[in-house]
Order: sequence, then structure tokens, then C-alpha cells
Amino acid sequence: MSDRPRVGVFVCHCGSNIAGHVDVAAVAEYARSLPGVVFVQRNMYTCSDAGLTEIKTAITDQGLERVVVAACTPRTHEPLFRGACREAGMNPYLFEFVNIRDQCSWVHMREPQAATRKAQDLVRMGVAKACLLQPLEEQEVPVEPAALVVGGGMIGMTAALNLANRGFDVKLVEREPELGGLLLRLDKLYPTQDDALPLVEARIAEVRRNPRIEGFTDSMLNEVKGFVGNYEVVVKDHEGRLSSFTVGAIIVATGARVFIPEGLYGYDGQRVITQLELEKRFKEREIDADRVVMIQCVGARIPERPYCSRICCTTAIKNALEIKAHRPSAEVYILYRDTETQGTRYEAYYTRAREAGIQFIRYSPERPPEVSAKRVVVYDELLGAKLGIPYDLVVLSTPLVACDGASELAQMLKVPVDEHGFFLEAHVKLRPLDFATDGVFVAGTARWPSHLEETITQAYGAAARAATILSKDHVTSSGVVAWVNEYLCRGCGACVEVCEFGASSLVQVSPGVEVARVNPVMCKGCGACASVCPTGAMTAMHFTDAQVTAMVRAALSSESMS
Amino acid sequence: MGEFQPRIVVFACNWCSYAGADLAGASRMQYPPTTRVIRVMCSGRVTPGFILEAFRLGADGVLVTGCHPGDCHYISGNQNAVATVEKTAQLLRLLGIETGRLRLEWISAAEGARFARIMTEFTDQIRALGQSPLGNSHRGELDTVGIGEHIGCET
Amino acid sequence: MRDVLVVGGGIAGIQASLDLAEMGIQVHLVERLPSIGGRMAQLDKTFPTNDCSTCILSPKMNDCARHPNITLHTYAEVTALAGSAGDFTATVHEHPRYVDEAKCTGCGECAQKCPTKVPDAFDMGLRQRKAIYLYFPQAIPQVMTIDPDHCIYLQRGKCGVCIKTCQAEAIDFEQTAREVTLRVGAVVVSVGFDFFDPRGLTQFGYERCPNVITALEYERLISASGPTGGHLLRPSDGQPARQIGFIQCVGSRDVRYQAFCSSVCCMHSSKQAVLACEHDPEATSYVFYADFRASGKGFREYVARAEREYGVHYVRSRVARVTEDEANNPVIHYEDADTSRPARRAVDLAVLATSLIPRPDTARLAQVLGIEVDSNGFVKTEPLTPVDTTRPGVFAAGCCRGPSDIPESVVQASAAAARAASWLVD
Repeated sequence: MSDRPRVGVFVCHCGSNIAGHVDVAAVAEYARSLPGVVFVQRNMYTCSDAGLTEIKTAITDQGLERVVVAACTPRTHEPLFRGACREAGMNPYLFEFVNIRDQCSWVHMREPQAATRKAQDLVRMGVAKACLLQPLEEQEVPVEPAALVVGGGMIGMTAALNLANRGFDVKLVEREPELGGLLLRLDKLYPTQDDALPLVEARIAEVRRNPRIEGFTDSMLNEVKGFVGNYEVVVKDHEGRLSSFTVGAIIVATGARVFIPEGLYGYDGQRVITQLELEKRFKEREIDADRVVMIQCVGARIPERPYCSRICCTTAIKNALEIKAHRPSAEVYILYRDTETQGTRYEAYYTRAREAGIQFIRYSPERPPEVSAKRVVVYDELLGAKLGIPYDLVVLSTPLVACDGASELAQMLKVPVDEHGFFLEAHVKLRPLDFATDGVFVAGTARWPSHLEETITQAYGAAARAATILSKDHVTSSGVVAWVNEYLCRGCGACVEVCEFGASSLVQVSPGVEVARVNPVMCKGCGACASVCPTGAMTAMHFTDAQVTAMVRAALSSESMS
Repeated sequence: MGEFQPRIVVFACNWCSYAGADLAGASRMQYPPTTRVIRVMCSGRVTPGFILEAFRLGADGVLVTGCHPGDCHYISGNQNAVATVEKTAQLLRLLGIETGRLRLEWISAAEGARFARIMTEFTDQIRALGQSPLGNSHRGELDTVGIGEHIGCET
Repeated sequence: MRDVLVVGGGIAGIQASLDLAEMGIQVHLVERLPSIGGRMAQLDKTFPTNDCSTCILSPKMNDCARHPNITLHTYAEVTALAGSAGDFTATVHEHPRYVDEAKCTGCGECAQKCPTKVPDAFDMGLRQRKAIYLYFPQAIPQVMTIDPDHCIYLQRGKCGVCIKTCQAEAIDFEQTAREVTLRVGAVVVSVGFDFFDPRGLTQFGYERCPNVITALEYERLISASGPTGGHLLRPSDGQPARQIGFIQCVGSRDVRYQAFCSSVCCMHSSKQAVLACEHDPEATSYVFYADFRASGKGFREYVARAEREYGVHYVRSRVARVTEDEANNPVIHYEDADTSRPARRAVDLAVLATSLIPRPDTARLAQVLGIEVDSNGFVKTEPLTPVDTTRPGVFAAGCCRGPSDIPESVVQASAAAARAASWLVD
């Protein structure tokens, strides 16, 4: 009496890799005896063309409804065999792989009998699971070939232009009345000492000329709903008018803000100013200082803000060189803790600064400089002596901090920020521009203080990442995703909380009744939700409770382990 | 029959510990044939039900393996595994099963040698504990509904 | 043309290839070594997350291998690039592996039987491989390669035990080199870097003292899959190294060698110091540095943790030289910057953080590709066009354009993909 599906088992010799230590014939023979198994074959190399053909032939000729291959490892070969099943007209998720090489024949080389026994047990486990496998569908969701770029500074504009030039429509949202961002307020750029404004203005002109980019200045995001490929966005302008549109991907390029060092080092905005305020004076040509003392790490690398803001050493050098360019006889001192001038370009820049006569004095956080009305007193760590430097102007290098509204934006987009308020990428090493939530990307100082060279690179990088979605007609989910049986769900929200990818959400199905629903496109198939579900409503397809339990039982059945 | 051969069920996550197990094989590292690996996508998929079912059916040891903290392919799934194993250990105590029979180990995809060593050590540990106190009493009951299966959610 | 050529299959090349492939573009990824993966495959862990390097790299390598839009040309090199942006003709020289890629399953039985041992370049010569070998266990493609310089059959016509061993009949000594012509619209260069050889700086004792090693050699020692199974054992006597001294800027920021800063060494030495203590709680590390660079995301916190939780001592100093005592312990002689006094410290193992420099063949490759290198020999780019080389349609990503850490290389790779894709628009 069989409501079991028709299972075919293919046992691989893998040359002598398996056959040399496991009695393949005995494994095949054993497989024949298992409930549900109607066909068994041995292959020399199941992954070869010949082997794959044999599988496809057997599916057709024997009317197989499940295929089990006992061979090497699914991590390399599962897609290959799933593909073969697909080609033979069988749902690829009705395939199960049993590892009898990497985790059997290769590791029990001196115990062939035990290895054979283990291989038989593993095949029994695989067949037990295979009998419970269900055909799974890969969902296709159409992609809107348009992007939303939040932030119209240099980075937002660069990303927008790259996408627009590739044929995608771009909605560029900027909360200030004009595009351009922080670069509008800079005088020069490093390490070239070129003027900042022409660069920004050129980019703004390009953006305005581009028919594919629709700019919304003096506007902010009001609402973002949906998921990768289909984000529904509402933008509100300064008069409260709403615009809505749909996009397939979102790039966050909202920049950062310069920290104002209130109460530090006598900051008064007059004689003790920030680097950004200095640049404003450059632009207005208001520099007549003959003795300038710059202090690095003001408000940075301290307990409240332990990070280094990366760009302040090079910014100080840039502005110091600018002072020297205007007033060659000026004395400029940079009081630093470390010189963050890495790589080829910035080390050379540091050398250039010293050659221009800029004096670098190292101080220690235990003995910070003291700014009085006339002098800066600092303990020179290298010299081992205290110096008193009379000054006309003190310039404080302060860090970039998260800009206003960053955390609200993060919540709207359902993306995280780190403890400093900077947007937190999916993986610091290998996915630095992605968020864990598919379809949203980040570039520029919104992510972390970075040199312009780096943020421009990130702008192109984020555009590439967005293009990997926008280039497709549709995004496809894997079949291995979670699914909710809404009759059993009581809307507790445990799955929503545990999901790192925002795939599960609560929806109202009738007044006062909420159930969870999984978006298969966003689900990564980890099964965490199924594990925390208190009612069993959540099913992790392809790794269901019943399937895993069947494997546990098969592992421990009375036949095993003599 | 000779020496007691422990029956050990191992849950291994696809991205780290299962890969580490494969690496042990590729490196031809030898360990006792006492373990049966069940692959899951994430160690966070393992439930107390799976572990208890294994012990109910006579497993002498259960090993849950996954990515090192911070390395989880799904970011925090392995934290679920910690909670699951802790919860289950408490239940095992109530059931009179030595908690040394349940173990949680982090094994990365590069740690083939570590995988082999842990299989060997755990086998020795279980050998020392002897056969599970639940013994053979529930073997043969393969068709009954057990702890690990939710009724009605499987189509 | 709608195809793109990516030269160099490390993490930058892999990322660029995947991004392009996902955009629907056909990619030809050419890699000089028998496997893609590059330097990341040689690392144990990566800063500042201390992720297992292979674990995060392998899935990307597998994606590359499986992607329908990516064709791998491993054990191959680009020998010519004609044409111009939008329509290049590239010539790729594929070396013979003497193994049929279609038949070989990478099972390794042949290597078990091969009688010839060769220093393993992947393990920095700390271990040996066979004349027929897999570059490293997770190599992609999972295909063996025969080293023609050391194979007895190819050199002298004898042996051939691999032929007898291989049940897939994959050994093919008749194989010859192949020239492949590719028409592409754009090129991405991502050939990576080399480490400066510290032998010339005799004051550091690299050749003189067996227990003075380089950072990459240390990385192989501390790798779980490395020659000592992850145990930090001294080369001289195989004893565990408990006191480790890391000497920064060997060859860097030095007008006699490399004037530039290699960017990543402050952090990789910190990571290596942390790993020493993770492996062995009795281990103590000393990092001898002049200036410390840790401005990346999470870096300062990592360094603070290294000091606080792992007891790493950061010594601001100038190292003059390394001598050796009777027990082969390296003795580091330095000027302590805080006291301005000379001092010395004996350690079990000294690790030299040497400069990241262009690969020796970068200059030749640059000529082949028609691009310029800068005064340091890296592929030349400008700050405002950071991934554009001097030749339109050819882009650069990763350490070949300057020392970069992994996230920077990955970002540059995606950027190069975006730029390259722009050239394919009709």
C-alpha cells in the first residue's frame, strides 16, 4: 500500500573515491529494499554527461517522482542534478542529495564495513526525506526598471547619472532647495587642490540635462512600501504636495554632517572655528591669519565617539596648503594624534604638506592641547617638551557624524544604522554597499566618513548593485522559502522579529485578526521563523519539521548500527 | 557485538559546519563512523523537537553545529541555536538524560580538522557516558507521531 | 560588443564579474592561477569582523562558477588587447593543464599517488604539494593541474602513475596551449598585488633568522587549513610561539623602497595579533609601529578591543634591527617613541608587515592592455575618476590600482562594473 512517491536512487562510485572504501553494490542493494524505492542504479560518475543522461532517462522511463543521488556533496553538485531533473520535466525540488563521499568514504577509509553501514543509513535518511519533499515554485516578481536615489549631493547625482545613462529612470530626492550637498560648501578638493565648485556645478548641469532623471528638491520621503523590484514611494515637497511612483531599487546617499565642537577648545566660531567654517572663509576670501593652529581629533576618538573620521587629516592638510598658497609666510601647525594619510596618494600628500613647511606636532589624548586667548599650549610627544604657540586662528578638525533624520529614514526603509548612526551595510567585508534588505543600497558618507575618491567609487558601486536588479525583467525567489499556514497563525509576530531580511510581516485578514505572511522574494530560506513559531504555522519549505524529523527517525531506526 | 558504538545525530548548517565537514573529507581526515549528519540551511533551524525526538528514539548523543557567532550566513540564525540548545538542555535534565549528550559547536567552513576532532572527541565523550538511558525502548516505533512533528501543517 | 573581459580572479575580479553577469552581461573572467580566489583564499580571518576568509569567499566563487553569464578561463593570461572602447579584441593564452576539465572531478586520487613534491606557493612554501595538484581545497574550477616544470612524465617521459590512477581518464598529456580570441566592449583589470620581499632589508633578519617571517607566512601558519593546522609553531623548532612581535612598515614609507603607505598593514597586524591570542590565551603580541592608521569602519573599536581584551601591546617606536639569541629568538631593537630611549624585546616569532606592491608582471600587463602605471607601478587612476584607467573602456579595481582592503576592493569592483557596463550601451 503505497501513497509513497516513486523514488529512484542513484549511487555513485566516484571512480574509486567512494567505491574504494564503501561497498557500493551493497548500498544499491539496500536502497532497493527501502519503502518507496522503485529504481536503483549505480554510476561510475553520476555527475558525468552519461550519468546525468541516465537520470533523465530513468525519470521518463520509470515514471520517477523523486530522485536521490548518493555521491559527493550537495554544496557543489546539487544545482547540477536539480538541473537534470528540471530538464526531464521533474520539479527540481523533488531531488535529494546524500553525501557518501566527503562525509563517509573519505573519512572512514580504514573501516569499510562501518562506512558501508553508514552509507546505507544515510541513503535511508535521504529516501525518507525525499518521500516527503514537495514540488516548489520559484516566484517571479516583475521589476520596475527605475531607481530612487535619496540625497542629491555629489554621490547621489553620480549614481543617478550612471543609472540614467544605462537607460533606467531615476527619481532623485533632495531635501535642500538645491542639489549639490556638502561639496557646495567646500573650497578645494584634495589631493589635487582643485576648486570644488566647478565639479559640483558640472554634475548638477548634467543631472538637469538628463531626461531620465526627475529631481525633487526641497522634498523628503514621506512613505516607502513594498519590496525589491516594487517599491512604492511617496515624496512630499516643502509645500506638502505629494508625488508617488514605483521603483525597483533604492540608493541611500544622504551624506553626513560636520560635528560642531560646542564647548571644546574654546570654540567660538570667530577665532576658534571648524574646518568647514575655514573653507567658507576661503570662498569669501576672508583669510588674513599669519599663525594658524589646527587641532585634529576634536570630538573624535573619545569615549563618546571612539571612531576616527578618516578625512580630517587630509582635510587639514588641504586647508593648510591653501593657507600657504595664499600667504606663503604664514605659519601653520597641525596638532595630531595619528596621521591618517594611507595609501599612495595620501602618504604623498602628507609628504607634500611637510615639504611646504607645515609643522606637524603629535599630541597624546592624555595631554591634550590647551587653547587660551592668545596661545595654544601643547606637549609635543616627539620632542618631549611643552610648546606655546601664539595664534591668529585655531581650526578644529571635527568628525563627520550621522546627518539629521538618518534614523527616521532608516526606519522608513527598514534598514539598520550602527551605534554611531551611520547606515549599517549587510556585510562589512563582502557586501559593503548592500543592505540585508534586498533592493536597498548605500553610498557615500551616509555609510562612513570617506574621501571623495572613495565616495565616488561607492556611487558607481551602488549604481552597479542597483543595476543588477533593474536589469532584470523580474526577480525570482528560490523555492526554498518559508510559508505560513494562516489557519494556524495567531499573529504573534515572533517570525517578524526574528527575520533579518524583512521577509515576514503581519497583515490584517479581517477586522482585528492579523496573520503573518512571507514574501518569498525576500525570504532567504534559513528557517529561523519556523523554529520560533509557537503554533507550527510557519513552514520552512524543503526543511519542514516533518522532513527533518523523518531524517532523524531514519537515522535511528532499529536497522541501523547493528 | 563488542564495543559500544554510539549513535550520534549531527545537525550541520549548509554554509559553515557542513562545509567544514566536507573539508575534513577533502583533507582525508579520519574520524569514527558514529555520526549521521542532517543538513539544514542554518543552525537556527534546529528546534528542541528535533533534538528530543532524536533522544526519544535512542540517540546516544546529539551535536548541533553552526557558524561562529558573527559569521552566520543569515546574520543571527546561530543565536537561535544557542537558545534552542540551552532550552533543550534544561528539558534533558528533567528527563534524566545527561546534558553531556547534547553539545553545541561552532565550526567554520575552513575548519575541517576541527570538525574531525570534534566528531572524535564527542564520540569518546559519549562512549564514556555509555548508552543513552532511553536505550532501545522506542526503536521500531517509526510510524508513530513524535515530538518533532506538528500535526496538520504538512500537505 | 556586449561582453566584458575581467582580468584577474581574486575578490575584485569575482565581484565585478558577478555584478556584470547579474546585469545580463556576458563575462570572460581570466585568471593566471589554476583557480580563482586570489589572496583572500590565503587568509585565515579578515579584519575587523574576524570572519573566516574562505567561508565568505567560497560562496562567491561558487556563484561565479555556476553563473550562466560567466565563462572562466583559469590558468590563462591575456596576451594582447587591440581595438578601442566598445569594441576590443583580446587574445587569451590558455596554458595546458594536461587534465581534461570536462572529465576531472577534482577527487585528488592522482595527487595521492604522484611521487613528486614541490614547495606549495599557496602555502608560501611552508608546505609541499604534488606535481599534480589542486591549488587549494575549495579551488574553482575543481580540476587538477599538472605542473610542467616538475612533472616527471613531462620532463623525462617516465612515471605517468596519474594516468593509471585516474578512473575518469582525465589525464591528457597531449594537451597543448590554446589561444582564444574574445570580442569585448570593455575590460576590467583586477590582477591584485604582491608583497615586498624583505630579504633586501637585511637589518630585519628575514633570511638570517628562521623565526622572522612575513605577514602572509604567518597567515598560512595560523590558518586552520594551513601547513600547521592553525597552530602558531616556530619554524626553527616547531615550538608554539607565545611572544610575537609585529614590525610595521617594512619597506613602506621609506624613500629607499616604497615611499607610500600600504594602508592595510596596521589593521592586518592587529588582526594577526588578536588571532594569536584567540588560538592560545598564553600568547602576547607586540605591534611596533611609527604611525597607526585605523580609520575604516569599525577599525578603531577593533584596535581598542585588541588592547583591552587580547592584551595586544602597541609600541610607538622605530625598529632599527632584529638580531637573534642562542635559542633562535628574534630580538627586536627599537627606539621607544614615548621615552625616546633605545630598547629591545626578545620574542618567539617576529612578523614583518611588508609593503603591498604591484605584481612583477603588472608593468608588462599594462603594456599589453595599453594602460599606464603610476610612479609606484600601480595601475594609474585619478581621484575623481577612481576606477578609470588611462585607456577609455579599460577599468581597474582592487589592489592593482593601489593598496586596498577587502571592502574597498569590492566597492571598486562594483564601480568598475558600473563603468564598464556604460560602454556597452548602444
